[in-house]
Amino acid sequence: METATMLPEVTAAGVIIKAVLILAVIAAIAGFGTYIERKVLAFMQRRLGPQHVGPFGLLQLAADGIKLFTKEDIIPQHANKIIFAVAPVITAATAFIALAAVPVFPDFTIPLLDIYVPSIASDVNVGILFVLGMMAAGLYGPLLAGMAQANKWGIIGSARTAIQFLSYEVVTGLSILAPIMMVGSLSFVDFNNYQADGTWIVVYQPVAFVLFLIAGYAETNRTPFDLLEHEAEIVSGYVTEYSGMRWGLFFIGEYANMITIGVIASIVFLGGYNDFWIFPGWLMIIAKIAFSFFFMLWVRAAWPHIRPDQLMWLCWKVLMPLAVVNVVITGIVMMIVG
Amino acid sequence: MYEFIAFYIFAIATTILFVITVMSKNVLYSMTSLAAGMVLISGFFFLLGADFLGVVQLIVYVGAVMALYAFAMMFFDATKNVKEKHQNPSLVFLLGGLMALVFVIMFSAPIIGDNIQALNPVADGVGNAQAVGMVLFTKYLVPFEVAAVMLLVAMIAGIILAGKKMDYSLTKCEAVDEEMNVELEKGEE
Amino acid sequence: MSLEQFKNRNVGTQNYVKLDLDHTPTSGWCQFKQVVKRTFKPELFVGLWVTLREMINALFRGKMHTTQYPFEKLPISPRYRAIHDMLRLLESGHYRCIGCGLCEKICISNCITMETRYDENQRKEVSEYTINFGRCIFCGYCAEVCPELAIVHGQRYETASEQRASFSLFEDMLTPIDQLNLQQEYQGFGAVSPNADENIKKTPLAY
Repeated sequence: METATMLPEVTAAGVIIKAVLILAVIAAIAGFGTYIERKVLAFMQRRLGPQHVGPFGLLQLAADGIKLFTKEDIIPQHANKIIFAVAPVITAATAFIALAAVPVFPDFTIPLLDIYVPSIASDVNVGILFVLGMMAAGLYGPLLAGMAQANKWGIIGSARTAIQFLSYEVVTGLSILAPIMMVGSLSFVDFNNYQADGTWIVVYQPVAFVLFLIAGYAETNRTPFDLLEHEAEIVSGYVTEYSGMRWGLFFIGEYANMITIGVIASIVFLGGYNDFWIFPGWLMIIAKIAFSFFFMLWVRAAWPHIRPDQLMWLCWKVLMPLAVVNVVITGIVMMIVG
Repeated sequence: MYEFIAFYIFAIATTILFVITVMSKNVLYSMTSLAAGMVLISGFFFLLGADFLGVVQLIVYVGAVMALYAFAMMFFDATKNVKEKHQNPSLVFLLGGLMALVFVIMFSAPIIGDNIQALNPVADGVGNAQAVGMVLFTKYLVPFEVAAVMLLVAMIAGIILAGKKMDYSLTKCEAVDEEMNVELEKGEE
Repeated sequence: MSLEQFKNRNVGTQNYVKLDLDHTPTSGWCQFKQVVKRTFKPELFVGLWVTLREMINALFRGKMHTTQYPFEKLPISPRYRAIHDMLRLLESGHYRCIGCGLCEKICISNCITMETRYDENQRKEVSEYTINFGRCIFCGYCAEVCPELAIVHGQRYETASEQRASFSLFEDMLTPIDQLNLQQEYQGFGAVSPNADENIKKTPLAY
């Protein structure tokens, strides 16, 4: 609250500039993320990855974009056309709306126009819950996509979406509850200020951190839990019938969600955008997000998929009880210490 | 001014979406418009400054309840239209209209009579979540606990209903397993 | 001498590691124990380390495994029967073919066509020689029967082309005269590849 009063006034223009920034930068990063993913996975398998389009294959991204934009837009004959068209938009939109409540870049003032651009587009004081809620709403993308496309692989994919997202939301919520109890607020800014003295919350809450990472991977549909579009089992799951730009929207949404999970993990558990030693805060937050993104790719290269029944077993019989025990222990310790 | 415009946009959109939910013969349209309507309802909470309740609306109704509906809907062919059977459409219309009228009167009467007041106004300097917590654990403690007990009962009932034959594996053939164990023991000797 | 040592096919040094597979857990408690064991054993981190090590190997120690195919090609085995080559005599540079017609005769798919005539020295000269690659089954009989080692199977395995004719004329198959010093002698059928010894692996047959 004290820091908020010291900052310049947030104007509508600043918020709009911020929103456009988030859209442009995150969409670009999401595209760039595909390049990074392909490169890193290639290196981990001692391959070269894309390298012929532009220097080091950097323009591969543009080539892919051109391909996606110019591809024929196919809607299957028996599909429900409206829902089929709406579903990818839901995924992309919810991913970007979730980013509205997340501090993505440091705040700055545009020099000549004197417009203050805040670090968060909309500083709702229930930021964490808003992001989790928006990611929960994001499950309608895969769900409706699978149900609308009149394809059996699609419907299996959307059934898996429903069970996986529903189950792991519980773990995400419970695991993040323990840090919320410690900080006593739901705002990202308060989380950041709580860790301003240099001790990260992950030191107090290692179990919650691991649980959050696992659940986050399940919610972003990343590899150990990549069951919604498991190529080996259900062709491509909910995106079986999609192609071109509609498929591209799913892709952008997925990568934006990966970045969101990275941001939440870095702010809630890993010290946020505080200065660290000689490194300024903005560099630290970018480094943390970059590392968590890299870790997702690293995990994808190293670990195999698990079966859907193992996924459910892990969630309800291992992670959920652990999260509850963690919350109870945190409460008891807080009662004794505080 | 902005809130005024936003309220009417939300109100009109929500009404249209829920009308689609009721009127549509397609499961997929009904479900999608119901979910979208739930999202827009959380918009009202945000407009009223009740951020916490808005987010809870998002997480609980959109994220969980509607997803469960959707899961149930997967047992039907969602791309086909449902054949509805109306025995007596005029009766349905009459009853539905009466219900709507009663609700409108119920909610508008105190507003018209200026007989409405906030019993638990939000105190200054107290966050949204804290205010909800205070109300829940003081004034509404008993309903809150009763609701918790009811949920527990429902959970246990669900486990019992679903878990009748939990110890019996559908995928494993026990006879084969025993045979294999015997073979393994032989091999070890 | 007993037959035992012939029955033992477990020859050579072997590095087979027997997997220490546990039995499938039967009860819930066993399953839980297995999960706890797997969680706290650093197996997952071993997996992470392996991929990271390979990345470091590839990036900094020059162990990148990719062959950038159209730009660099791996040598193929001398046994491989690719598009034919017509070889030249190293001394004179004249083509080796003496026009005997054996390849035409033995060709089981009738794809070789040759016309010969006597030149001014009363030597046989090949006036026309084509192979119809639409019919050729790459059986290798022509190379086997050739008494002069003139027609052999070469190394050109990229046979995608707009026209089959671009491979099948005598002049195309003939070693270019300026690359005569690069001409490889054909080792004949049954020749083993140069790195054959390295490729031999023992098979675990003794169970």
